[in-house]
Amino acid sequence: MEFYWDTEQTAFRDEVKAFIATHLPEDWESLAHGPGSREQTDFSKTFCNQLAQAGLLVPHWPKAWGGREADPWTLFILAEEMWMAGEPRGGQYMNVNWIGPTLMRYGTEAQQQRYIPPMAQGTTLWCQGFSEPEAGSDLAALKTRAELGAGGYVINGQKIWTSYAGMADNCFLLARTGTGKSGISIFLVPMDTPGITVREIPSIIGEGDIHEVFFDDVAVGEDCLLGDPGQAWEIIRHVLSLERVGIPRFAMAARVLERTVKRLHDGGRLNAGAIEQAARAKAACESARWYSYSIVDQRRHGVTPGPEASLARFATVTAERLVAEFVVEHAGDALAGGDPLVLSHHQRAIVAGIASGAAEIQLNLIATELLKLPREPR
Amino acid sequence: MDFRLTDDQRQILDALDKLADTFDDIANDFHGFALVRPDLREALAEGGFFDIAGFEELGPLPASMAVERIAQLPCTAEVALSMLVSPLIADVGYDPIALVRPGQAGRFVDSAKWLLVVDATRYGLIEAAVADVTSVESIYAYPMGRAKDLAQVTWLEDSLTARIDARLKLAIAAELVGLMAAAQAATIEHISVRKQFGRELGTFQALRHRMAECRVQIGGARWLMLKAAATGDPGDAALALFHAQDAGTRLCYEVHQMMGAMGMTLEMSLHLWTYRIKALLSDMGGRGVQAEAVLEQCFGGVNVV
Repeated sequence: MEFYWDTEQTAFRDEVKAFIATHLPEDWESLAHGPGSREQTDFSKTFCNQLAQAGLLVPHWPKAWGGREADPWTLFILAEEMWMAGEPRGGQYMNVNWIGPTLMRYGTEAQQQRYIPPMAQGTTLWCQGFSEPEAGSDLAALKTRAELGAGGYVINGQKIWTSYAGMADNCFLLARTGTGKSGISIFLVPMDTPGITVREIPSIIGEGDIHEVFFDDVAVGEDCLLGDPGQAWEIIRHVLSLERVGIPRFAMAARVLERTVKRLHDGGRLNAGAIEQAARAKAACESARWYSYSIVDQRRHGVTPGPEASLARFATVTAERLVAEFVVEHAGDALAGGDPLVLSHHQRAIVAGIASGAAEIQLNLIATELLKLPREPR
Repeated sequence: MDFRLTDDQRQILDALDKLADTFDDIANDFHGFALVRPDLREALAEGGFFDIAGFEELGPLPASMAVERIAQLPCTAEVALSMLVSPLIADVGYDPIALVRPGQAGRFVDSAKWLLVVDATRYGLIEAAVADVTSVESIYAYPMGRAKDLAQVTWLEDSLTARIDARLKLAIAAELVGLMAAAQAATIEHISVRKQFGRELGTFQALRHRMAECRVQIGGARWLMLKAAATGDPGDAALALFHAQDAGTRLCYEVHQMMGAMGMTLEMSLHLWTYRIKALLSDMGGRGVQAEAVLEQCFGGVNVV
């Protein structure tokens, strides 16, 4: 067992840090009005394009698609540094982590040629059309339908909680083409297709983050189908295997915690209660970090992460929560114009246990798959 | 980073596992708190397991995993300090050693050959035979004792203080992780078969989620413990012990609550682990002191006044 970064990993982290130091403007923290805002999206397109030119946007991708075939550690180090900096890639992390690799595996030649190069260049934003009003954690209950006709598919239905939809160029859309889980298909739909209406939902997360997306007789060609009809569940399982590591939210949480502790210390406001809460939050951040590393290590050695990934996900939720609570209790001024980065973290932290499936789903998986407790009756 | 065990680590831990299996039983007529097996120490010494931390090829990482494994047994013996702390102190060898805070009861104090005395800023060593040691009754599932006369203590070099401090924290954290895992395993076994309202208790989400959260805590404490073992860093050790003590506090409540009245009996083995956990929750000053160390050592330049 080794708990040290090797020379290559250290060099890569230094490279990413140096890039961030050079390319993030001084007012970056106050720029982030919301992860899906116009300011963030415009900034991200410039920033990600610069990352791409430096070979730092998709290092784990095949060389044929602009990558350097780096291992999973490289991708995670990159993500850690980005999150520590407040995730200047915005919603494009999804392209990098899973939409691009999924298209490489399941897309047609034409789909790959159309969609992957802009992702590799950092100039495009996608949204994922998964959740619906009656299908959240229970994704298989989705009702949006795609009917095959003479000229292709006609899509009708509604998505909700769709992040980045207001600024997205394309949607990775789940729609029903039959019944049951095997009746769900995936469509790659340009967001300017007639019949798509996007309504932003004002939220506590920040500007431009979540949306309703309505599909009214949206006509798309058969060439928009990803994979075969009814193959969505298999593809989603592949997506989840790419996403199992999750987002290193703990990196931003740890930075916010460190900054807040320093500020309290310098202001002589580090009381006994704050000290114990800070230690608890620090332990939670580091637990999440090492759980996540253990999953990356599995992937590095060709092991498909199993239910252990749920431990990492829930540990991350816990870290986010404890840091957010620490700030509210001991440095509440930061959320009232005191510190844009701390505010941004607080707004995003609430998402950790809700997005990509409720945290309670992770607890169920841990109980059943790891602890081997008997299943709940259905 | 590479979290696979090396061949050497795997072999030694497999051998330890086999040895531990032979101590994994409880006599039917045992209805007490401290189930002590002195022959466990003898078997570990004979197998060379007390040498693990001292071997350059092995070191504190597999030694801490060994402490964790032994802590899962229903029986106990002084193992953690001998495995992780004694290698730092000359003359102690494989003899049992106990941590003593002047005026306070400590585990294994009445059966140790050596006492490691701690005051505010330093560690000292004294033979138990000259410290007027007595046994004390306790609900902690360790044999407990007090040392009345520490006048002849020999204070160790200041240069050792930080290393001993970090190793003690690591040793206690490793023991806590093993104890928590064993207590949870016993509870899971119970709620997987015990039925109420026509269903196994373990099917109720109110219990499943709490057990899952405890599992997250235990696993997190384990990762922090392993990292502390690998780096030897004082801040890592403080963080590992803080988290282990924090997790242990909650776990003790949860497992007894889920075991119900069965867990109150001395027939069940649960208390053998939980009442050892409780003994360790105040070690090294408890969570509050660990939290201060975390602040000073993990947040770069922050001093606790």
